[in-house]
Amino acid sequence: MPDRPDQISDQTADRPRHSAVDDAQGIAFGVTMAALGMHILTHMGFVTGQTTGIAVLVAHFTGLPFPAVYFAVTLPFLGLGWRRMGAAFALKTLATTAALSLMVAILPRWIELGRIEPAVAAVLFGLLFGIAALAAIRHGGSFGGLSVLWIELQDRTGLAAGHAQLLSDVAIFAVAALVLPVGTLAYSFLGAAVFSLFLAVNHRRDRYVAV
Amino acid sequence: MTATQKHTLIEDAQGITYGATMAAFGIVILTQLGLVTGQTAGLAVLIAYATGWGFGPVFFLVNLPFYIVGYLRMGLAFTVKTFVAVALLSVLAWWMPQHLAFSRLDPVLGAVLFGFLSGSALLALFRHGASLGGVGIVALMLQDRLGWRAGWVQLAFDAVLFALAFTLRDAATVAISFLGALVVNLVIAINHRRDRYIAT
Repeated sequence: MPDRPDQISDQTADRPRHSAVDDAQGIAFGVTMAALGMHILTHMGFVTGQTTGIAVLVAHFTGLPFPAVYFAVTLPFLGLGWRRMGAAFALKTLATTAALSLMVAILPRWIELGRIEPAVAAVLFGLLFGIAALAAIRHGGSFGGLSVLWIELQDRTGLAAGHAQLLSDVAIFAVAALVLPVGTLAYSFLGAAVFSLFLAVNHRRDRYVAV
Repeated sequence: MTATQKHTLIEDAQGITYGATMAAFGIVILTQLGLVTGQTAGLAVLIAYATGWGFGPVFFLVNLPFYIVGYLRMGLAFTVKTFVAVALLSVLAWWMPQHLAFSRLDPVLGAVLFGFLSGSALLALFRHGASLGGVGIVALMLQDRLGWRAGWVQLAFDAVLFALAFTLRDAATVAISFLGALVVNLVIAINHRRDRYIAT
């Protein structure tokens, strides 16, 4: 999978460094774009992969509000992130997911979407989520830390993290197929494909060299 | 770090498609709220508001003279990529409002979203060797030749456009528009760094 969690830890000694302001604006940008993407996603009733996809399904089955569910889903992975990636990573992840949950919760006060062509919504969601993830990764943030689980799994069982991530997305879409109409599922897949392709092409630590 | 890397044709194509699409999304928000902005797009928006013509065709026409400057100073590849980006944005800005509607949109939030969407769009286009037209070409030329940050050059041009905007819009609309343009220029001023994104 494009997130390439196996490449998250990289040697960082000789790379240019971001200032705190650089990172703050990068994370703020990522959170805002992700919130807009989630707003479109939930407005259309789409599903997607990874942490957000799990939250969409849990919210669907329990009837609980999506922002609260999303925040709750990310919590268990914080401990794992702390152990593997350090306190700074875990705290940044907590701040990012808390800000994102809050923004998704309050965004409907200021923005109400009308009729959107599903294909347009899917492509915009994919691009918004893609650029949000790219900005977060480049500025040391994270939207949920599920990928940390796959790295842990890779270390313990030898299952490649990318494959585990792909399998988990297949599982999420399989569950979604039980409850979503075929059309919605197809557009959801289009959005997820745009997102994955965008990250696969653009997440290159050999090109964006600052940390 | 490794030596300079070149983007492939497909990588440039997806970067330019991303840039044009996000910029079009930003223009949909901007024109829905009746806000103005800076740069070539700002000039096109002002003309569109004053004449009642659509942003898409005006933006496409306004850019035509600049391709000569672009070709002379920045080369053929840059000019072709910019032409493709401008053409794609023109078509999408005309097409998208028929397929994407807001029931309600707060102007201040809209201005910030416009700023992030356009800033990120321009950043992607710059990194893939394109731009969104005339003023951007001049600003990029100055950055590459004199080391002036493109963001600051564009801010100066914006000041002139905003002075003109007061003749078409009330002060509150211009103030909110200024916030959006500020976000665009901050995104570029902070993030357009050839020492950080090294591929060309």
